[in-house]
Amino acid sequence: MRLAVRGTMGIVDLGRRIELFSMDPHCHDISIALYERGDGTGAFTVHSYSRRPEAAARLDGVATAMRKLGGMVAGAGPRDVRFCCGAVHRLAVRRLFLDACKPPPGTEIAPRAMVVLDKKSGQTITAHAMDGGRYRLSGDGDDPRRVLAVARGLVRLAEMEAVEGADCDIAFACGYGHDALIGLLMVRALNLRAVMREIEMQAARGVLAAPSARD
Amino acid sequence: MNESVAPMTPMTSRERVLAALAGRPVDRAPVCNPTSVATVELMDLVDAPFPDANRDPGPMARLAATGYTELGFDAIMPVFSIIQESSALGCKMQWEQKDNWPTVRMREPIWTDADDIVIPNDLETHRDTRCVIDAIRLLRKEYGDEAAIVGKTMGPWSLAYHGFGVEPFLLLSLDDPGRTALVLDRLKEATIRFGLAQIDAGADALTLPDHATGDLVSGEYYERYLKELHTEFAERLPVPLILHICGRTVDRMPFIAETGMAAFHYDSRNKPQESMEAVGDGIALVGNINNPETLFARGPEEVRAEVVANLEAGVQMIAPECAVPLQTPLENLLEIPRAVRDWHDARTAH
Repeated sequence: MRLAVRGTMGIVDLGRRIELFSMDPHCHDISIALYERGDGTGAFTVHSYSRRPEAAARLDGVATAMRKLGGMVAGAGPRDVRFCCGAVHRLAVRRLFLDACKPPPGTEIAPRAMVVLDKKSGQTITAHAMDGGRYRLSGDGDDPRRVLAVARGLVRLAEMEAVEGADCDIAFACGYGHDALIGLLMVRALNLRAVMREIEMQAARGVLAAPSARD
Repeated sequence: MNESVAPMTPMTSRERVLAALAGRPVDRAPVCNPTSVATVELMDLVDAPFPDANRDPGPMARLAATGYTELGFDAIMPVFSIIQESSALGCKMQWEQKDNWPTVRMREPIWTDADDIVIPNDLETHRDTRCVIDAIRLLRKEYGDEAAIVGKTMGPWSLAYHGFGVEPFLLLSLDDPGRTALVLDRLKEATIRFGLAQIDAGADALTLPDHATGDLVSGEYYERYLKELHTEFAERLPVPLILHICGRTVDRMPFIAETGMAAFHYDSRNKPQESMEAVGDGIALVGNINNPETLFARGPEEVRAEVVANLEAGVQMIAPECAVPLQTPLENLLEIPRAVRDWHDARTAH
């Protein structure tokens, strides 16, 4: 009996892993990863090294959820996804992937509207799609700082560009609209600090610390 | 280190590691990990997740073997954690889950004085030490002379942290050097017994972590409390020993080089060239590839640059600086042996 795989399947070259959902509570705690193919097509692959029979359907489900939640389209492979514009939007797609892993299989998934209720100011903030991948944010209350905060949050989370001379206008550099991404990320953009904390905690998990660093 | 060299007869991975540990010539620098290279993706690949792979010999051996079979390293290192013998000593454990490391609950210490220390008769047969011993036996049987099998036995300073808690033990070391030495002397028997059991099971070499880390313990402390003990380990454990201490340790490297240990597993906070100068010919170096920034968060290009920096400095064995984060991307780990081979190929091609 061989203890481990010797080249029968092994590690496959899928490009660079850009995000990892290290334990999937919906499928035997398998890890699910998102790989950036890096082949010029802007494609990503949802992959797991688990050989559990249930893993294949689960990966299909995550890829489908990414398409629905983030407005992506199918790529060449069965679990490949990409944006129509051909750009990678790396930060945004990482968040999209993590959000696509969260709902249990069977959950009805639909893109989110580009509207968010800001509890701090009590106003509803809306993103309006314009031409050329540009969005204008507005609020129905009297606290423009919160609208600006959401705009700045989106700039950070989706690697968007602030439009010069218009504080609440932001744009994707690719020049295409990505309404589903905006809808997905607006909720997070309300509290950027929480997002950063979450990223830091995620980075620290799984790092072995010397005993002297743990007490 | 840029001169071209005549190629040697190719060695097996095991031959390469053992030669480097003995200070003999090698066909290329071995990629020898003294600590874990397990990741959650490798756990999936061979269906050997934590915590099972820390407590059952089959999963432990399967997961460890991926370092050789999948990543292309020259060594197999099955002791992923630093707590196996502490569990056998009676420490309170938190075994965690797949994507996190098991830990000792050091806030619930089991000893307050040297006289509390009892090395149990079942140290080598306790579930969590026997698991290691049985995994090494499985690996030796399976991989024979192919790959080097590296075990691990924790040093007394680390065991004292686990048993007393970090702060109480450090305070003891300040207040009562005599009792501190007594603690270390009593705990060294656990280090030796667990080490001998792994050697008997087939380990080619042992990693000996002893966390006199650069942030909390000075070089002077190392000389006072640990140098002699580490020399004793090198005399009593009849395989090459690889001392592991995290952090900035250049100040104690000259002392470490005098212990008779075969190699020092060193942290990325020490530059390769200054470290080579600090140890001289006294001990081989291994490690230094940064974990949290490079292997975990950057890409193969940055990994390659660190591998080359070590090779250029003459570091004898290439490896990550410590147990790699469990979420480390596989492409970064695969880059380590690739970079080593490319570097050697470039030198022998001239």
